[in-house]
Amino acid sequence: MLRDTPDRLPQDVRPMSNARLGILVLLGAEMMLFSGLIGAFLVFRMGNVTWPPPSHIDIQLPRAVTGINTALLLLSGYTMFQALRAIQKDRVKQLRNWLLLTGALGVLFLGVQGSEWAQLIRSGMTLQSGVYGGIFYVLLGCHAVHVIGAVIWLFIVLGMAVSGRFAASRHIGVETCAIYWIFVVALWPILYVLVYLA
Amino acid sequence: MLQWLPENVSTFGQSVDTLFYIIYYITLVVFILVMGTLITFLIKYRHREGQKASYIEGSTTLEIVWTAATTVIVFGLAMLSYPHWNKIKSPNEFPENPEVLVQVSGKQFNWDMTYPGPDNEFGTADDLELENQLHVPVNAVVHIRLTSVDVIHSFFVPQLRLKQDALPNRFINVWFEATKAGRYEIPCAELCGFGHSGMLGYLNVHSQADYDAWVKERWPQ
Amino acid sequence: MHDNEHASHHHEESFIRKYIFSLDHKTIGKQFLIYGLIMFFVGGGLALMFRWQLAYPERPVPIIGASPQYLEDGEVVTGADKMWERIYESEEEEWLEANMPNGVIEPAFYNMLFTMHATIMVFFVVVPILVGAFGNFLIPLMIGTRDMAFPILNMLSFWLAVLAAIIMAIGFFVPGGHAAAGWTGYAPLSSDPQWTGVEWGQNLWAISLLIQGFSSLVGSINYITTIINMRAPGMTLFRMPLVIWSLFIVAILLLLAFPVLSSALALLIFDRLAGTTFFTATAEGGGDPLLWQHLFWFFGHPEVYILILPGMGIASELVPVFSRKPIFGYRSMVYAMIAIAFLGWIVWGHHMFQSGMQPVLGSAFMTTTMLIAVPSAIKTFNWLGTMFKGSIRFTSPMLHAIAFVSMFVIGGLSGIYMANTPVDIFIHDTYYIVAHIHYVVFGGSLFAIFGGIIFWFPKMYGRYMNDVLNKIHFWLTFVAFNCTFFPMHILGVGGHMRRISNPMQYEFLQGFEGMNIFITMSAFTLGAAQLILVFNFFWSMSRGKVAEKNPWHVNTLEWEAPTPVPHGNFVGQVPTVYRGPYEYSVPGEESDWIPQAQPEHAHATGGD
Ligand code: HEA
Ligand code: HEA
Ligand code: CUA
Ligand SMILES: [Cu+2]
Repeated sequence: MLRDTPDRLPQDVRPMSNARLGILVLLGAEMMLFSGLIGAFLVFRMGNVTWPPPSHIDIQLPRAVTGINTALLLLSGYTMFQALRAIQKDRVKQLRNWLLLTGALGVLFLGVQGSEWAQLIRSGMTLQSGVYGGIFYVLLGCHAVHVIGAVIWLFIVLGMAVSGRFAASRHIGVETCAIYWIFVVALWPILYVLVYLA
Repeated sequence: MLQWLPENVSTFGQSVDTLFYIIYYITLVVFILVMGTLITFLIKYRHREGQKASYIEGSTTLEIVWTAATTVIVFGLAMLSYPHWNKIKSPNEFPENPEVLVQVSGKQFNWDMTYPGPDNEFGTADDLELENQLHVPVNAVVHIRLTSVDVIHSFFVPQLRLKQDALPNRFINVWFEATKAGRYEIPCAELCGFGHSGMLGYLNVHSQADYDAWVKERWPQ
Repeated sequence: MHDNEHASHHHEESFIRKYIFSLDHKTIGKQFLIYGLIMFFVGGGLALMFRWQLAYPERPVPIIGASPQYLEDGEVVTGADKMWERIYESEEEEWLEANMPNGVIEPAFYNMLFTMHATIMVFFVVVPILVGAFGNFLIPLMIGTRDMAFPILNMLSFWLAVLAAIIMAIGFFVPGGHAAAGWTGYAPLSSDPQWTGVEWGQNLWAISLLIQGFSSLVGSINYITTIINMRAPGMTLFRMPLVIWSLFIVAILLLLAFPVLSSALALLIFDRLAGTTFFTATAEGGGDPLLWQHLFWFFGHPEVYILILPGMGIASELVPVFSRKPIFGYRSMVYAMIAIAFLGWIVWGHHMFQSGMQPVLGSAFMTTTMLIAVPSAIKTFNWLGTMFKGSIRFTSPMLHAIAFVSMFVIGGLSGIYMANTPVDIFIHDTYYIVAHIHYVVFGGSLFAIFGGIIFWFPKMYGRYMNDVLNKIHFWLTFVAFNCTFFPMHILGVGGHMRRISNPMQYEFLQGFEGMNIFITMSAFTLGAAQLILVFNFFWSMSRGKVAEKNPWHVNTLEWEAPTPVPHGNFVGQVPTVYRGPYEYSVPGEESDWIPQAQPEHAHATGGD
């Protein structure tokens, strides 16, 4: 590719790199995607006199387990942040460890979510059971897909870290992944409060 | 252009028409102003040999003038419209104690009319169901409970200046008072499937005497 | 010539790398342009088919309608029969029988035709050309950089759009027919096959739009990043040409609006394929039929400004150039566009005045909607101000720009009627709306597109388009356009509903038969006129008169690049920008234009 930098005058400094800016812009779109689904959730929530609707009155969402799961995910945000800090200080080994820990927490989160879903489905709450079940699975499923995507991305970054592709001067790959990860993590508490608690 | 409007036969129809006319004249003036200026400029400032354009970067005064003028017109128009809109569509401003209450239900591809009968209650034995025929007396307030059994339809009577979507599983109240006896069409105005074109009912506005006779015929006691 | 490394590096590219999977923003822009023009003919052809039905209901469509005998026993009688004979071997005649028995368009088929007409025109013609083609071609050239920030994403954006178009095209041939619930796809009509009999058509419609959403997303990330990060030295935000501003704002709108549609489409697909009931009200725990409308229009209204803002940007380039004057009120033009984009988010309810929403909400939406007249007024009067005391040259691009301004005013003013809640009671879902749509999207966006194509053609292909053909095309289009769409206002005032396949079924519309025939005739003329443009376009690519580097004497940076523009755009260093883009007829200067890249106090014009 053609690089543009040699032509630039020194006073013309960019606020941030293309990659970082691009990923932040992407988050704008992600936010609107979730806004659409959350909007739908709120419409159903407000439109029904009782929530859950009478047909699902005996459904108990596993609030406590999910609460712990939320904590796990938030923790992974912290470990991701540490990974970024590590590579900024050029500590490649620490980067690997923190990334591994973050990935493990992400997988754990998905696992707990998955087992919860299995339980809920067994207890009769499915995608087809009214909007209550429907929006639950679609909204949280959309988040889960994002977590899966983030985990895959993270393991790619981890692979690159293992083969020594990052350094303090060159870690945009870690940074973009971290920004995305933290977005996905930060989104979850909102969903948790909305869907489980409110 | 507005002579193409169908004849108005409802009490609130005049509101719609008046606003239509007001906007028509406002936009006509704006249009003539803009086009007049444009054409004048095009002729007057067309390129001629040896003539150079003036260097004008803008004018804050003018900018403020047209911003303010448009804002004033637009807000004025909005203010003017609120009461009329509320009169037509706000349930709490409907005239009370309607002479006729009827449920209109859209279904692919007919209008089902349900009259509650003398007891004024829906779902009782004396209900009367008609397909595509709505009967009301002239100069009387009519309330309609609008709903649908399948997809969204839209209840439209051009001469009444009345249009309202009918939603499945929801009841929307509308009202009107017809001022002239006659038979008017009730097309469906919202795409509702392959039979949308031709989904058509009739509003029969009777003189009071005829309406009483019609009622008598249906509910003999 | 001090040829530099950048320009000569990449000469030995294979054909595929150069023209098919190209990473060069200029090639991708041209690809989008040709893609859009092809789709324009598909969308327009569908329009002509249903126009026939509206003028001559229940009469066989000429040229393509098969004869009754052919449908009965396969006996070839007319030319159309021969065509179908060739296309179809055996049982596909059922398709003909179902959709066009006796060559007449069936009501269900009619619904499919206008649904696909609008879907294609909006998502596959106007957006790809305005945003995809002009955006890609112009942004790097006009801000002075060598390519987009993410060339690979750029290529991806184009090929995703192609994929979306292919999926959309497949929908025509699946059993049950293509989507037929309007381009707005109102649920529950669209969400439950039971109401339409449309099975995979609607699913493919949704899937195709989801993919189109990805394409837009990728594209807008690219545009935003490029414009923020890669401007040439000296190109401050307020030295950017207005068309770049418009594309920047549109990229933000696309970025934020499309995902909302995607969420709605996802819910729709779940309803159709997974048995959920998001849009179907059921007695217990059911969904909400209005939810779709809210989500769709929350996207849809910003979408219509996506369709017009780049057009405004293009007009803001053409008018100063051909009036030889600075744009009147540059900054207020920028702020007006930002205001339009911002207000566009809080007006979506004006499409739902009669849907049964709270009347109070209706009033609120009326107010915000009408407020958009204010920034629009600023834009309109500033264009007029730009022409004031100018030296106007009536070149073909300028004619289109003038048509854009005047047609946009008509379309915008008709918007005021509909924004007014009481008046909208009457004109909602009538041809008044259809007239409005086409005055803003054809009179607005398409005239800007035509003007832009002719204006930048010399930079794209190094040749001029034939001016005589351009003038004929312009006048035919302008007259036929107004003959086609102006009478639709009158239909609307008469209460003529939209989306009906046979107006003659209604007593109160009997008087409009003549007008419908007139409209159809004009529409055919309009369509024929477009053939001139497309012929001219492809012919001029190889046969047009060779153009010099800066034929219109324009200040902006794209004209600093040599023609044809090499890979890497600029020879030597990227130009440095010293001033705003509209320095025309500066007093005391000899020439009436000063390129943005010309250093202070240097008096040579346009040299490299
Ligand atoms: C490019 C696309 C485009 C643009 C720019 C606009 C611009 C506007 N539109 Fe339009 N609109 C559509 C595309 C567009 N629209 C489409 C496709 C639909 C139909 C969708 C469907 O149902 O299928 C639609 C439908 C639509 C409706 C719904 C109607 C209905 O279904 O009942 C409404 C209602 O308010 C509306 C209003 C407006 C307004 C107020 C503007 C304003 O932005 C216009 C502002 C401009 C001006 C006002 C002119 C210039 C100003 C002056 C000269 C100053 C002086 C003016 C005054 C003092 C008034 N539009
Ligand atoms: C960008 C948007 C765009 C464009 C460019 C157009 C262009 C045209 N539109 Fe469209 N239209 C819409 C967007 C657009 N439309 C939308 C959003 C709707 C609402 C749909 C809905 O309700 O869901 C609509 C609906 C709509 C209707 C209402 C249908 C109904 O409600 O029942 C009509 C009716 O006349 C119409 C007509 C036309 C015509 C004649 C053209 C012409 O300008 C087309 C001209 C171009 C060509 C014709 C090129 C093709 C040329 C050939 C194929 C060569 C062969 C021709 C000859 C030899 C003559 N359109
Ligand atoms: Cu019912 Cu259209
Ligand atoms: Cu709108």
